[in-house]
Amino acid sequence: MKQDKTPLILGILAAVLLMVYFLPLQIYVKHILILTLLYAFLGTGWNLMCGYAGRLSLGHAAFVAVGAYTSLLLFKNFHLTPWIGMLVGGVFAVLVMLLIAYPSFRFGVKGPYFTLGSIALAEIIHNLLIYFRDHTGGSLGMSLPYEPTSLAMFQFDGKEPYYLVILAFWLIAVFITWKMERTRYYLEAIREDDDAAAALGISVNRNLIIAACISAFLVAIGGTFYIQYYRYIDPYSIAGFTLSLNMALVVVIGGSGTILGPTIGAFLLIPLTEVLRMTLGASLPGLHLFLYGILLILCIIFLPKGIASLPGKIRAKKAKKEAQTNQGAEGVL
Amino acid sequence: MDLVLQIIVSGILLGGIYALISIGLNIIFGVIKIVNLAHGDFLMMAMYACFFLFTLKGVDPFVAIFLIFPGFVLLGVFIFRVIIKPLLGSAETEVNTIIATAGLGFVLQNLALMLWKSDIRAMETSLTGQSYEFAGIMLSSGRTWAFIVCIVVAIVLYYVLMYTKIGNHIRAVSQDSDAATLMGINVDKIYTLTFAIGIGVVGVAGAILAPTYNVYPTIGLYFNTMAFIIVVLGGLGSFTGALIGGLIIGLVESFAGVMASAELAQVFSLLIFLIILFVRPEGIMGKGARV
Repeated sequence: MKQDKTPLILGILAAVLLMVYFLPLQIYVKHILILTLLYAFLGTGWNLMCGYAGRLSLGHAAFVAVGAYTSLLLFKNFHLTPWIGMLVGGVFAVLVMLLIAYPSFRFGVKGPYFTLGSIALAEIIHNLLIYFRDHTGGSLGMSLPYEPTSLAMFQFDGKEPYYLVILAFWLIAVFITWKMERTRYYLEAIREDDDAAAALGISVNRNLIIAACISAFLVAIGGTFYIQYYRYIDPYSIAGFTLSLNMALVVVIGGSGTILGPTIGAFLLIPLTEVLRMTLGASLPGLHLFLYGILLILCIIFLPKGIASLPGKIRAKKAKKEAQTNQGAEGVL
Repeated sequence: MDLVLQIIVSGILLGGIYALISIGLNIIFGVIKIVNLAHGDFLMMAMYACFFLFTLKGVDPFVAIFLIFPGFVLLGVFIFRVIIKPLLGSAETEVNTIIATAGLGFVLQNLALMLWKSDIRAMETSLTGQSYEFAGIMLSSGRTWAFIVCIVVAIVLYYVLMYTKIGNHIRAVSQDSDAATLMGINVDKIYTLTFAIGIGVVGVAGAILAPTYNVYPTIGLYFNTMAFIIVVLGGLGSFTGALIGGLIIGLVESFAGVMASAELAQVFSLLIFLIILFVRPEGIMGKGARV
């Protein structure tokens, strides 16, 4: 059996990213790096449910919003530190997830039906956030009350501490995915063939619901990070369809159902969009997203299994070529 | 009493508009089994087409329908050949077509943004702001005509699907594409045709909506979710289902909009959708099993 190289790759990757922290980079580059890691983190959380359970959620922004608004409201009204608010938000997100995941898995809601259900869930949260405008600020959104740099209050004046925090979050999320895949949750088996897994006595629904709940919890924590970093949220940007879609895109382009696929996708897509926005956004609004859309379509057409599948594809091609040359050599002999 | 009647009538008219938007989506969804996330953006493009035909060339929206429909059918053929077809028939088809059409949505929205800026455009036709009075009930003329067009489109499509050879083939492919292939039906051709008709019908919907709704690059997002909900609510691939789904959502929004607020109206229709999804995933009129 092939030895699992994941911990080694993960260790190297984390060490490299940690070293980046000490580089004297421009503030804009730092911002892109933080954003990339945030999306890598959100994508890893999304992947845990959607990549493995084979259910495409386009409503995960709902959980980001629950996390962000919970920790923000607790901080604003009770001055509770976002570190704890973040966990409370995570628990709320799990409860919301149970509301949809339990009936979905129980009644076997799959495919486009599940996707549409998830969109509906996010739209419900989106509309409720606008409706309760007395508490949430409605469409105008809410900002985070300023506090000077304080680790206890999860607020920093520079960008660097945020980088370390999101790096740690990302590492934890990837580690959880790796553990879940390999240990008693049998996500790998379920992904390959859920009927066969069930026949082997694996409790498919229970494991999928657990994966879905962890997914919601992680994504909600990403929501708290979002508000602490941006210091402002509004329902459209945090519960809207665009965020849900971006989370899914990062994973599908990178390679869904793989441990590092979401991270690969985030490191490709997020810097690309930011650079396109920076260079083209001012001259002609819309051009950068127009190109982004075309790139997405091309990626999907030519790499339908994501970028993570590329090494395997190349290897298969090589093997095929070798087999052919071997055959040729045999023929000569 | 008058108020209730007024709400019901407005709800039915709104439902007609929703149904018209959903029909094209439903055909594509039902036959090719793919989710076209760019559906609302095609609607937006059609609204722009109607807007410019009217403001620049003075073409009446009712005439514009006959120009926009063939144009959008051709657009549908092109999009299907270039984007959708390469993705069909693999294990990832379901996810990848969703993502690819989402990318297409980005392309269309931002194309509109580049070409026509984010300005909100409204056109003044003979229908704008007019209403008919019938037995004490006010009917918005724009919505009334949209409703009538919806009925006409529904009847024509129903006829084509049920009583023509090509409709027969489309229904065969929708039921079992493998069996249809064995019966000598060119599935590829039927898929192309279905996609083209779906896009053509949403073109008609856009043309008839342009006089009543303002046009801007992201208007499609507003209608997109609603269209999907109606399709699932009524029943995937079920034609009458789309009409019934449209009417239900139209009535719910109309009532909740008056009794509560616009946001709660949306929440109500979304909740009804989620409940139907869990209790009866094949939809109100659907016959098929769960996918």
